[in-house]
Amino acid sequence: MTPETAVVQALNGISFGALLFILAAGLSLIFGMMDVVNLAHGAFYMLGAYITLTVVQRTGQFWLALLLAPPLIGALGLVMEPLLLRRLRGRHLDQVLLTIGVSLVIADLVGLTWGREIRSVPFPAGLDHAISILGGDYPVYRLFVIAFGVVLAVILAIVHRRTRVGALIRAGVQDAPMLAALGVDIDRLFAVTFAIGAALAGLAGVIAAPVFGIYPGMDVDYLIYSLVVVVVGGLGTLSGAVAGSALIGPIDTFGKVLFPQFALALIFAVMALVLLLRPTGLLGRIRIAR
Amino acid sequence: MDAKNGAERRSYRLTRRKFLAASSAAAAIAACGPAATPNPSGAATVEPTASPGPALKIGQLLPFTKVYAELGNSMKRATDLYLKQKGNKLANRPVTVVYEDEANDPVVGAQKTQKFIDSDRVDLMMGIVATPIAYAVRNAIDAAKLVFIETNAGGNALTRTTTNCTPSCKSKYIFRSSFSSYQISYPIGEYFATQKGVKEVFTFVADYGFGNESAADFTSGFTKGGGKITGSLKAPLGSADFLPYVTQLKAQNTKDIYSFFSGTDAINYIKAWTQLGMTAAGYKMNGAGFLTEQDVLKEVKEQANGATTSLFWAVTLDNAENKAFVDLYQKEYSLLPDVFALQAWDGMQAVDLALQAVKGDTTNKDAFIAALENVKFKSPRGDFEFDKETHNPIQDMYIREVKVQSGQAVNTIVGKVARVTDPGK
Amino acid sequence: MTSVLSRARTLQLVGALIAAALLVTFPIWSTPWEGSRYATSILRDMLILAILALSLDLLVGSAGMPSLGHAAYFGAGAYAAAIAGQRFGSDDLLLGLGAAILVSSLLALAIGAVAVRAAGIFFLMLTLAFAQMVFAVAFQAADITGGSNGFSGVRRPMLFGLDFNGPDALFHLVAVVFLLVLLLVWRIRSSTYGRALVGLRENERRMRALGYDTTRLKLSAFVLAGAIAGVGGALQAYSIRFVSTNDVGVARSVEAFVSVLIGGASTLLGPVVGAIVVLFIERVMPSYIAFAETVLGLVFIIFVLAARQGIVGMVRVAYARARA
Repeated sequence: MTPETAVVQALNGISFGALLFILAAGLSLIFGMMDVVNLAHGAFYMLGAYITLTVVQRTGQFWLALLLAPPLIGALGLVMEPLLLRRLRGRHLDQVLLTIGVSLVIADLVGLTWGREIRSVPFPAGLDHAISILGGDYPVYRLFVIAFGVVLAVILAIVHRRTRVGALIRAGVQDAPMLAALGVDIDRLFAVTFAIGAALAGLAGVIAAPVFGIYPGMDVDYLIYSLVVVVVGGLGTLSGAVAGSALIGPIDTFGKVLFPQFALALIFAVMALVLLLRPTGLLGRIRIAR
Repeated sequence: MDAKNGAERRSYRLTRRKFLAASSAAAAIAACGPAATPNPSGAATVEPTASPGPALKIGQLLPFTKVYAELGNSMKRATDLYLKQKGNKLANRPVTVVYEDEANDPVVGAQKTQKFIDSDRVDLMMGIVATPIAYAVRNAIDAAKLVFIETNAGGNALTRTTTNCTPSCKSKYIFRSSFSSYQISYPIGEYFATQKGVKEVFTFVADYGFGNESAADFTSGFTKGGGKITGSLKAPLGSADFLPYVTQLKAQNTKDIYSFFSGTDAINYIKAWTQLGMTAAGYKMNGAGFLTEQDVLKEVKEQANGATTSLFWAVTLDNAENKAFVDLYQKEYSLLPDVFALQAWDGMQAVDLALQAVKGDTTNKDAFIAALENVKFKSPRGDFEFDKETHNPIQDMYIREVKVQSGQAVNTIVGKVARVTDPGK
Repeated sequence: MTSVLSRARTLQLVGALIAAALLVTFPIWSTPWEGSRYATSILRDMLILAILALSLDLLVGSAGMPSLGHAAYFGAGAYAAAIAGQRFGSDDLLLGLGAAILVSSLLALAIGAVAVRAAGIFFLMLTLAFAQMVFAVAFQAADITGGSNGFSGVRRPMLFGLDFNGPDALFHLVAVVFLLVLLLVWRIRSSTYGRALVGLRENERRMRALGYDTTRLKLSAFVLAGAIAGVGGALQAYSIRFVSTNDVGVARSVEAFVSVLIGGASTLLGPVVGAIVVLFIERVMPSYIAFAETVLGLVFIIFVLAARQGIVGMVRVAYARARA
């Protein structure tokens, strides 16, 4: 591999990692903040992508999709949490089964509504050209994705650390009864948190759809990617999601061109290895056993 | 997005399509067209006054869910349209089609095949998109003496003589109306070396049975014609990101790339190709036809311009039958047909003609098989016939190039390899 | 008093034997009914999934180890039976089953040694990761496994001259093996070992304090579950005489997982009932309705919210209430 190629592959890996982060952020938030296993995450992502498809088809405005899809899916999450998940607090197996059920329903309804053709979304105008890097074309959208991922991470970090909502959420995870005793509406807090997580999944659907494509079964594929990233990075922390995607992105990119025979299982091998060396993930914190 | 629906027929099984039309409120589907009425077709070859024969039951195993759902829907559209044209009768027998979902799983495919044989008791079976499923049910079909027209899966072994029937082998009951992966890969290899003067090619294919077969057959044809394969790269099926692979392609010197991808992979590959400016840098995209079929072109549009692929059909093919087929399909569904629809269409036509030859009698299997073997007709793809040895189609392979015509990306014919037969072993 | 009890027990035993006999002979007495062959093949698939679900319940239900990669051992058993038959040119059922159990156990041992060090979500993800790696190997090693095209040419099983080739004979085989597995799992669950597994789920710390080597206990459960899953896989291979990569895939693992939960984890018949319900919705319903997946999803949701002990648990509660 020449140095020029290596640089381009590094850009590929970093932008892929950024996409993974955007994809996994919502899952990490929900698991970390609420201790809920949300296997409907891939379905939320899928829904975001299909909404983008319709918006772009009807109006040609990609950015409109960015404005519409996350709130819509966030609203879905806002309804879903109190209705379905509230009574399952702490019951992981039940959450798994329920969210698998929700995922099946959403995926099937999407297929029945939009059809099961393979679709794609073009890059938005303004970001659909290439710029010259080291004498070769490089797609601007991939650079945009890196920037977007960084900005998103920063915003989430600020909200988490510096705002009242973030503090409330952190407190709620630590000691919900105490928080309730202090007069905070725990139920509403968790519903909002779940809604934000769902909205983030929808956001990922908008941003990643032009790169990853739209097809039946995409919910399962990208749920698996999200799970790998979140677990590798260390469950439940934002920095974990960043670490996980920063690791998986480049390793997957370089790995699959250098070792094509292992390409299929590469990220799983990486995850297994990380968990062997650091059982709670790269930046995971040991939790008190429940 | 989906086909418009015809009138419910009592004899039809309830299908996804029909349920959707009946109950979906929120769907933004194109308006249902007028109810279809049995249309005494100009091509009827039986006296309309003769009393109809016993009902003919056809089992169609196609994917309606999972990643290949689009192909199943396309093939169902073509099948329904063909029958509509024939007043839902073949050889004066009213037709019932039972559609089942293969769900991209050989276990499900085997179970549904069992259903066709035991429960539905179909007179003949058609379909199967995924090669592993075809391989999985081959023995059951052969043992049940069920005539089966394979309308997509192109695994070479299905119509060949092999050792120990591994991974599969031909059966006198199995016919194929689609292709063998040899047919779409070997001739173009030879063509490139001998007709186009291409000296070196680099291959980049999807790493699974079909992709590997295509790469191997192309390599045989190309090297036999004097060409040299300078290297190869493989991507797992369903790869999320093609940019790293195309970056590698750009890092090597051979300009002609031969690829096998289909569906989402093809779309993502072509997009990555464009994003890295491969064409401007002098690289040339070539491949087996599915790389640039209509399902892909409708999404990537002009990004695939100039790609050279080989297939036994193109939507622009200039013959009377194809014009009629494309017009009819477009009028009915407001969509351009793709090769999958064509394969299903030809399958129905072959069955139709064979049935007429035996006057609708499907009880004498050997006679029906002989009739199928003798079928010869002008299909939208050109002259169609089955190879008597293998039951694989003998067909022309067109060398096609992607161009935008009248605002739509299509494959135009730039060359031809005539009457390609699968070698059979 | 004792005579009443033992009479109830005898009735239960007789009832169970009758049910078992009816099951095994299903193809015979259902012949007059049209489509019975097809029903036999569906029931066969349900029994095979039930075997897989029963084995998984030892982990998920009894021991509280949620494995989402259990199909790896199922598929490994399928491939092993198929490949052994081909390599040795033998139809012997015992050879196939033996190879299946051996390979799936060894695989479970290798993976388990690593996986049991984790718990909860980490265990879930690790088992999933290893299963995906097994899938990748099955997919890539085309020379051995047939790769994406699958392994055809699984030989027809024979045992001491009895040929299990035909669909009816094969069903008898599957039904008998299923009953044996059911018996085995029943014995395990009611044994000290089985109760130790439950102890693991309830309170692992206390088990350790009581002197159990919990890691070894977990590993043994993992291997046992893997071995039984391998048997199911072998039967699957013999059923359609084909093994595909789908048999080691995520979908198969999830299918078994939800079967356990729907039917009722940590009950004897729960996984069986769950397998029947799940397969019915997945495979039979789509012939009649267009939205079977939605139905399946709704079933999961409703069961979690309304019947969290699963179908069997629900039945028990209803039965207890009726008796009261």
